[in-house]
Amino acid sequence: MKFIHIADVHLGAEPDAGPLYSEKRPRELWETLEHVVEVCEAERTDLLLIAGDLFHRQPLLRELKEVDALFSGLSHTKVVLIAGNHDYIRQDSYYRTFEWSGNVFPLFGRTPEYIDFPELHTAVYGLSYHSREIREPLYDQLRAAGVEPIEILLAHGGDEKHIPIDWNEVSDAGFSYVALGHIHKPQAVRKNRVIYSGALEPVDRNDTGPHGYIRGEITERGEITEQNQNGIKSGRKSRMQGEPAVQWIPCALREYVHAEVSVNAEDTEISIKKEIDKLISEYGNENIYKMILKGKRDPDIIFDTEYLAGRGNILEVLDRTEPDYDIDALLRENRDNLIGRYIGRFEGCVRGSEEYDALCEGLDALLTR
Amino acid sequence: MVITELYLKNFGMLSEKRIRLYDGIQVISGENEYGKSTIHAFIRAMLFGMERGRGRAAAKDDFSRYEPWDHPECYGGTMRFVCGGRSFRLERSFARPVRPAVLICEDDGEELSVEQGDLAMLLGGLTEGVFDSTVSVGQLKAEPGKTLSDVLENYAANYYETGNGEVDLNRALRILRERRRAAEKKAREEEAAQRERQQRLLQECRYLEQDMERLNCEYESCRESMKELRQERNRKTHVLEPQTNGQDTGEEPAKSEQEEGAESGISARSMLLAGAGGIFAGLIGFAWGMALGDMGQAGGAGAFAGLPSFPITVIGALIALAGAAVLVAGCLAWRKEKRRRKEKSRRNKESSQKEESRREEENSRKSGETSGQTEKAAEEERRLSWELERIRAEWKEKEIRCENRKEQLREIKESEGLREARRQCRVITLAEEEMEKAADETGSRTAHLINRRTSEIFSAVTDGKYQGVSVGQKMEISVWDGVRRIPAAGLSRGTLDQIYFAVRMAAADLILDEPMPVILDEVFAFYDEKRLKSALKWLSGQKKQVIIFTCHRREEEIMKKEDFS
Repeated sequence: MKFIHIADVHLGAEPDAGPLYSEKRPRELWETLEHVVEVCEAERTDLLLIAGDLFHRQPLLRELKEVDALFSGLSHTKVVLIAGNHDYIRQDSYYRTFEWSGNVFPLFGRTPEYIDFPELHTAVYGLSYHSREIREPLYDQLRAAGVEPIEILLAHGGDEKHIPIDWNEVSDAGFSYVALGHIHKPQAVRKNRVIYSGALEPVDRNDTGPHGYIRGEITERGEITEQNQNGIKSGRKSRMQGEPAVQWIPCALREYVHAEVSVNAEDTEISIKKEIDKLISEYGNENIYKMILKGKRDPDIIFDTEYLAGRGNILEVLDRTEPDYDIDALLRENRDNLIGRYIGRFEGCVRGSEEYDALCEGLDALLTR
Repeated sequence: MVITELYLKNFGMLSEKRIRLYDGIQVISGENEYGKSTIHAFIRAMLFGMERGRGRAAAKDDFSRYEPWDHPECYGGTMRFVCGGRSFRLERSFARPVRPAVLICEDDGEELSVEQGDLAMLLGGLTEGVFDSTVSVGQLKAEPGKTLSDVLENYAANYYETGNGEVDLNRALRILRERRRAAEKKAREEEAAQRERQQRLLQECRYLEQDMERLNCEYESCRESMKELRQERNRKTHVLEPQTNGQDTGEEPAKSEQEEGAESGISARSMLLAGAGGIFAGLIGFAWGMALGDMGQAGGAGAFAGLPSFPITVIGALIALAGAAVLVAGCLAWRKEKRRRKEKSRRNKESSQKEESRREEENSRKSGETSGQTEKAAEEERRLSWELERIRAEWKEKEIRCENRKEQLREIKESEGLREARRQCRVITLAEEEMEKAADETGSRTAHLINRRTSEIFSAVTDGKYQGVSVGQKMEISVWDGVRRIPAAGLSRGTLDQIYFAVRMAAADLILDEPMPVILDEVFAFYDEKRLKSALKWLSGQKKQVIIFTCHRREEEIMKKEDFS
């Protein structure tokens, strides 16, 4: 049984992507979903699992129609989805009334239920959010009922306010695979078996790193399915029955990059701008950047962060440099005067704290000629 | 400390130059370009070392200025001095590769370490900064556009508040104030941007709500015409088929409510009634039992004598209790039902709308079937019900969008830019506060002492013409000639120079424990003969080495002529 697991597509979101890309970014979320659907079609994937937050907010009717039309074009793949905390099934939600195509199977119940796919020897379990927050650990007591050889749990959440999960309980509940959503960073909670696919596309400026989907295969007999190249790999020779082989595939169009720019006393605004350009050409022009200037700068130089962020794909430039002062030496030389006393007032403050920055600002004002 | 010999191996334009110096006042006179400033810089470099600057400033620092053109590898020299009764030789090379300075006590050949701070110990509290602002005195220089008295006042003000003439407190505070204002402006801009985002969303919500309101009106009027149309038809069909009338509108909601009540078990109202009845019955039973008991006690044997009175009392009491319990449960159920009904009515709007349209559609279908004549009316009704459907769909779409926007509005957080700007405001405010406090601390300690000592020196230099210098609350300087108080702005250039000199010398006395050589670089240019004589006289009484650089011969002549000792 071949499946693709995606989550947190957040259709309808308007992510902050800098002046250059913000406008077309909402469209790109759709394009990447389209791409995944194309992959499903090309590979004749059996199941497309969507682990919640397909939409960023309550879907509009036309949006549901778009998505459904997209899914209905799949000739082989069946789509199973749940509603997450962002697109929770509100009183007035179109989710309640929408008529899906025949190959789309929503698990929109408040409590766990499953859909049986006898032809795939597979059952998929899941539930949906009917409110923005759920603090009860709804998944911990859930057990695979054993109706099919392959049983999959489609789940959303895992933090305090969104269905807290006891990983030991869920890992041992008898599911072949647990497809998770809600946390945007792709990660395996249990290798090959309990996995956050991560958001399909990054939607928040702090969703750094690459994003994509999980492609996997679960065999009923003890066969090994080697389709791995560089993804999450399972090297065991004798696989247990129903053990999945999965692979994480990056496919997001853009990436949020937080890059550190190291600054030293020789640097000027122009040299830093060059450095930033170099970093961007290294990481790729299509990505969206936050630049953090670090290190010690010439005390005479002040960086105009707005000017430095002038490129369209930089969200912001944060100046975390410190003027290159030897504070101990300054204190030694100025024990009895204002400078010394000023430094003395900040004794013991930690580098990077507000106090430390105040010390640097004051020294800067005192020593500027 | 007394400097005894300078040997400039290769420094600026001087090379292989040896200068011997003695205790007391020395005058080194020479024409312009003689190298006086070079010697001055050499002394400074020997005392405190000299490193190539970093960053862009490197091009114009002392290191580059005095780097010799020929034989830069010999950049450096030697200085001999006596300190604490022992003689030392200090050798420095500024050429690269950097070699450590050599400090040797010539009395016993002991080698000391400059790096370990042995030289700093010999110099007492004399650091580079103190040197520049006390014992190394140049001319009072005014920047263009400023009067000398302003410069002097600022200098003095700084002395009082900072203990170091080279640090400009007011300027630092001004810089900080400007930076704080810039940060506050940034924060305000960020706030405004955030408010604008909020406003935009609110505006969008308002538009959507207006649209929804308009759709509601449209819906009502549409339904109204639908009703009229139907009444019209009903009148007609009534003649033909009177029984269709019965199950028309109006009854349905009441029925559904009843169903709702049944759904939750026994209705709250009946529970309330049962509870009240139970209490009543129980109380009667209780009273009866009590009455029977009384009778029994009285010994009478009535018709009920055989019945034990006690159980009846107990049973009565139990019934009353049960009644009370039912009553309480009834109350709770009543409240719950009320709440549910409220919610229901809110939800109802939509579903009843839907229900209605379904019925209307059905009716119109039926009416279409029943009467062929009313085809046109039926057509109109179909159009209307289609219209109702459209309005409802549109309304719902708007409602969802409106709710989504409201959600977005609630999610707006402090933006990163705003957080950063606010942090910067806090940082700079803290810097300002601490600087004021540090200034207060320094000022209160030194002000009084410097004031008194400056007055003494100034009085001596002016040969008693002025008895004191005073610095007011706002750091304005005035002098006192015994009769009048004269503000600094009204003083001559020479007198201002003398106050400057006096402040520096006073500070040197207060800051330095050890007497250090005083270097006066073209200081007396504006002094008249009389004041110059007084100044030199005062200096010779200080038991310090004084090195005077000058391009005039006056100083030398006075020193030769007068015998101050």
